[in-house]
Amino acid sequence: MSDEHLNLTLRIWRQDGPEDRGAFRNYQLDNVSPHMSFLEMLDVLNEQLIASSEEPVEFDHDCREGICGMCSLMINGQAHGPDRATTTCQLHMRRFNNGDTISIEPWRATAFPVVRDLVVDRSAFDRVIGSGGYVSVNTGNAPDGNAIPIPGTTQEVAMDAAACIGCGACVAACKNASAMLFVSAKVSQMAVLPQGRTERTERVLGMVAQMDKEGFGSCTNTSECEAACPAEISVEHIARLNREYARAALTAR
Amino acid sequence: MKCPTYSSWFRERRLDAVCQILRLPAVMLSQIPGIGPVVKAASTTVGQKILMAITGLLLCGFLVTHLAGNLLLYAGAKQFNHYAESLHSWGILLNVAEVGLFTLFMAHIGLACSTHAMNRQARRSQYTQKESKQEPMALPSGGASGWMFVTGVIIAFFLVVHITDMRLKKNPFIDYSPAYQNGPEAGPDEFVAVRLVLTNWTAIAYVIGLLALGIHLSHGFRSALQTLGVNHPRWNRLLEIISLLFAWTITLGFLSLVTWAAMTSGTSN
Amino acid sequence: MARVASETLKSRVPDGPIEQKWDKHRFNMKLVNPANKRKFNVIVVGTGLAGGAAAASLAELGYHVKSFCFQDSPRRAHSIAAQGGINAAKNYPNDGDSVWRLFYDTVKGGDYRAREANVHRLAQISNNIIDQCVAQGVPFAREYGGTLANRSFGGAQVSRTFYCRGQTGQQLLLGAYQALMRQSQLGKVDICARREMLELIVVDGIARGIVVRNLSTGQLESHTADAVVLCTGGYGNVFYLSTNAKGCNVTAAWRCHKEGAYFANPCFTQIHPTCIPVSGDYQSKLTLMSESLRNDGRVWVPRNAGDPRHPSEIPEGERDYFLERRYPSFGNLVPRDVASRASKERCDAGFGVGDTRLSVYLDFKHAIDRDGEDAVRKKYSNLFHMYHKITAENPYEVPMRIYPAVHYTMGGLWVDYNLMSNLPGLFVLGEANFSDHGANRLGASALMQGLSDGYFVIPYTIGDHLATSELPEIPEDHPACRKALASAQNRIDRLMSTGGKRSVDSFHRELGQIMWDKCGMARNKAGLETAISEIRDLRREFWANVRVLGRGSTLNQSIEKAGRVADFLEFGELLAMDALEREESCGGHFREEHQTDDGEARRNDNEFMHVAAWEFHGVGEDPTMHKETLNFDHVPPSTRSYK
Repeated sequence: MSDEHLNLTLRIWRQDGPEDRGAFRNYQLDNVSPHMSFLEMLDVLNEQLIASSEEPVEFDHDCREGICGMCSLMINGQAHGPDRATTTCQLHMRRFNNGDTISIEPWRATAFPVVRDLVVDRSAFDRVIGSGGYVSVNTGNAPDGNAIPIPGTTQEVAMDAAACIGCGACVAACKNASAMLFVSAKVSQMAVLPQGRTERTERVLGMVAQMDKEGFGSCTNTSECEAACPAEISVEHIARLNREYARAALTAR
Repeated sequence: MKCPTYSSWFRERRLDAVCQILRLPAVMLSQIPGIGPVVKAASTTVGQKILMAITGLLLCGFLVTHLAGNLLLYAGAKQFNHYAESLHSWGILLNVAEVGLFTLFMAHIGLACSTHAMNRQARRSQYTQKESKQEPMALPSGGASGWMFVTGVIIAFFLVVHITDMRLKKNPFIDYSPAYQNGPEAGPDEFVAVRLVLTNWTAIAYVIGLLALGIHLSHGFRSALQTLGVNHPRWNRLLEIISLLFAWTITLGFLSLVTWAAMTSGTSN
Repeated sequence: MARVASETLKSRVPDGPIEQKWDKHRFNMKLVNPANKRKFNVIVVGTGLAGGAAAASLAELGYHVKSFCFQDSPRRAHSIAAQGGINAAKNYPNDGDSVWRLFYDTVKGGDYRAREANVHRLAQISNNIIDQCVAQGVPFAREYGGTLANRSFGGAQVSRTFYCRGQTGQQLLLGAYQALMRQSQLGKVDICARREMLELIVVDGIARGIVVRNLSTGQLESHTADAVVLCTGGYGNVFYLSTNAKGCNVTAAWRCHKEGAYFANPCFTQIHPTCIPVSGDYQSKLTLMSESLRNDGRVWVPRNAGDPRHPSEIPEGERDYFLERRYPSFGNLVPRDVASRASKERCDAGFGVGDTRLSVYLDFKHAIDRDGEDAVRKKYSNLFHMYHKITAENPYEVPMRIYPAVHYTMGGLWVDYNLMSNLPGLFVLGEANFSDHGANRLGASALMQGLSDGYFVIPYTIGDHLATSELPEIPEDHPACRKALASAQNRIDRLMSTGGKRSVDSFHRELGQIMWDKCGMARNKAGLETAISEIRDLRREFWANVRVLGRGSTLNQSIEKAGRVADFLEFGELLAMDALEREESCGGHFREEHQTDDGEARRNDNEFMHVAAWEFHGVGEDPTMHKETLNFDHVPPSTRSYK
């Protein structure tokens, strides 16, 4: 790893509002430390823009440690940039070379309309979860935590699925803008746990219906979502969703 | 605030209209008493993909029987023509089977168009740059997964050529008379007809069509299993290998007949 | 400087034996008739563990709830980043845990500055939380036989921590979020995401609503209700660099404070010892490395200040394992506040390592030699991976470099036993209130408190307020709403029209530097006084020279940040003032004047066994301190020693 500072050309999507058509704009950013995170690099750019009285670039971010799922960005055509199992906030500038041109676009999907610049509206995900991604248990109704034993291996499968951070990279990377990886992660988590079994039929039918209503595409099994997922959710969960769906479609009352 | 251009507006309306039209069969089917809820469940994105998978796998079954029959070409004219005649002797049953097969194809193609249109709707504005994060040529599909619609269209065109060539025997570039030497009542000599088609320059369509089929199957078979929920870490590697073997066995099996025809042309049986 | 109110604050802790207080109190509180519940509107601000749990539980009871968060989805609240786990007194491992022991440990860990009755309730409720979360489908770690697994955490002597890999906060939050989205689908909760609370609406002395800015459209909105529940987290970002999310802020709590709510113990801040150090002045946040690393890592610095050699080339004899040296019996496992101060002491003395000389080594070589790399990998692979990703150094080969960072704030708005502030109708839950952790929070206790407040306390105590208060309907154009709206609009207009030269972030950084240098891990009178005057100067400069570009009518993150920093610039002064007033060292608050000869904290129980709750009188005006006396009838105060 070199300590040499980078001079970069940034090609960034600027869009004033949801109705604006938007366009790319180029910015020169010099003297970027390779130890900076990608978002810190954008912070520095914004300071530079403010100093020259240009409006800073709006981008979503919050925890900056890879768990909140708020950061996004299509970096050189890849969701969350070139690294696997990494969110944009965890990506560091040492991954780039001096003189690079970096293109930065928002997530693009009909279900994720652009709010401004690189910020998109992902509330479709909330509505999908609201359509069945839960266990209907009111506060105070719970039996003892150990009342139902759950084998460690089952719990591990559930946890693998539950690790989803809801960032939307799966949708952004999918050529069909499909949300199947996101939806299947929740369906799968609940389908393997005994607590989630009771509502499995209504859950999968409800969530798939809402997913369609939001305008996400269908799954062509390209596995691009899996490669883009910072939480490394496997397409195995999509298969489980499909099983759950087929079962529910044939047996729902 | 700028407005979208007229052409992009028009493109979007056209896409919406196509989606409306493609929804019609499901609307009509749901009128049949007793199957409304099932049709509704089958017309979601997931339902459509499951139907695609089922029709796809049934078509794979057809390919197996088709290849098995065709491999009789290696056994010689007598055996092959006997097979052809026994097929024809099914009479009306053969027509029923053909209609069934045709329906399968149309369903598969129709669903492909429908999901494709919906997928276009799901991303109305495209990325200016899009790179994969997967290893290039990764198994199981060897990168074929992005080519399903394109290969599907090629196969569909090839099907038209194939049916015109073989079933209808109406290829304008081929003189079919050698196949009719046993007189008009006896019907065509299928063995000769096959050789005529495959040795003509139009056989290039077969090479292209079959290669497209190979690519289509190398993703399609495993993909259909995944869509039907077959995925288990213990079996996935084996399934990938079986899928690839299946796809290229079928393809090479058919392709071998083209080579066979070229190599044996000019010789009698 | 500060005025002290003559009357002490009433915490409304019920009478009776401590084990029975909560049960008796639940019986004595007034109930709202089930049919009437739907007539009451409740506003919940924040959707973390406390807010998400409260909004879902209140909606389940039948109240109509409006839930607000500044993020794009309720699921992104910063509770999601909690790694370690959640404590409960289940005693599943049969190792001697009990409600009483959890209560005892928490009071002692808080260095005797928490309210006993609240802590006991927390310990009692802890078990229900685990049951509730399991029922929601939270995938807690399990033994192969299927029972829930526990681990020991943060130096506790029993294994009472439940966990989901290193993502416990995420899983618990998603459980609450899913419950919330279910209520949203049922029409019981209105989710108002991307809304930031800017004002509290108070009518006849009762909190009745809030003003928010819709962050997508810039629109100001007023929302009225019968009660306001504030679950807006801590104020760690007053230090600019912290382990908090970038968006975490004090604005909601501070606006309530300015409307009359008392702010309690703001000087109680927790510094976590094991964070990845600052690498440059562009740094925007600090990343926590789990406390569990100290189970196997050894902390050291070179004996020769500024030793230029690679750490692996420094021989054993020339290394100073300073935690082991100073605290032979606890060694590397001393509590957070002690470890943090010891690291700072070494770096201040010039022995720090790395480019900035502001870090110490956390070395796993001995553990790797002893147990093998595989054993270490099995325990910590995700943390090592995260460290490698951020620093590009492989901790299996090179010792990690760590430094303390601001992590959690024990102080917050003052609340009584019902979690209601001194402003009737304003309830404060989770990290935003001051109550349960005293001067120092133990590991895996924050999740417990947030969920306890949200799931199991507020659903009972809010009913008492609603059933016993006169709550006439507030029309949208009520003068109080118009006044709050105008006040919020004025502030935005002022920020937009200043037209200065400096960016908001540059002010925030400078404030953070003041706070960290003079009001951070170690504080003294002169430093705090300087800090107060520097903050005042900076605040003046901010309002004269801040540059906020763009328009107020769109998504505009500069406006969001400017409003938050403006409030931090007022709040920082109160924090420093509270630190100045508290002439003792306890928990996370260390006054250099009050230490033993060997540099340990010296508490002053005679004069400072109280909560300092501050009343606001105006920006730059001296606030009034209200004292709540603390009694320790069940856990007699003793001196913590880790020698």
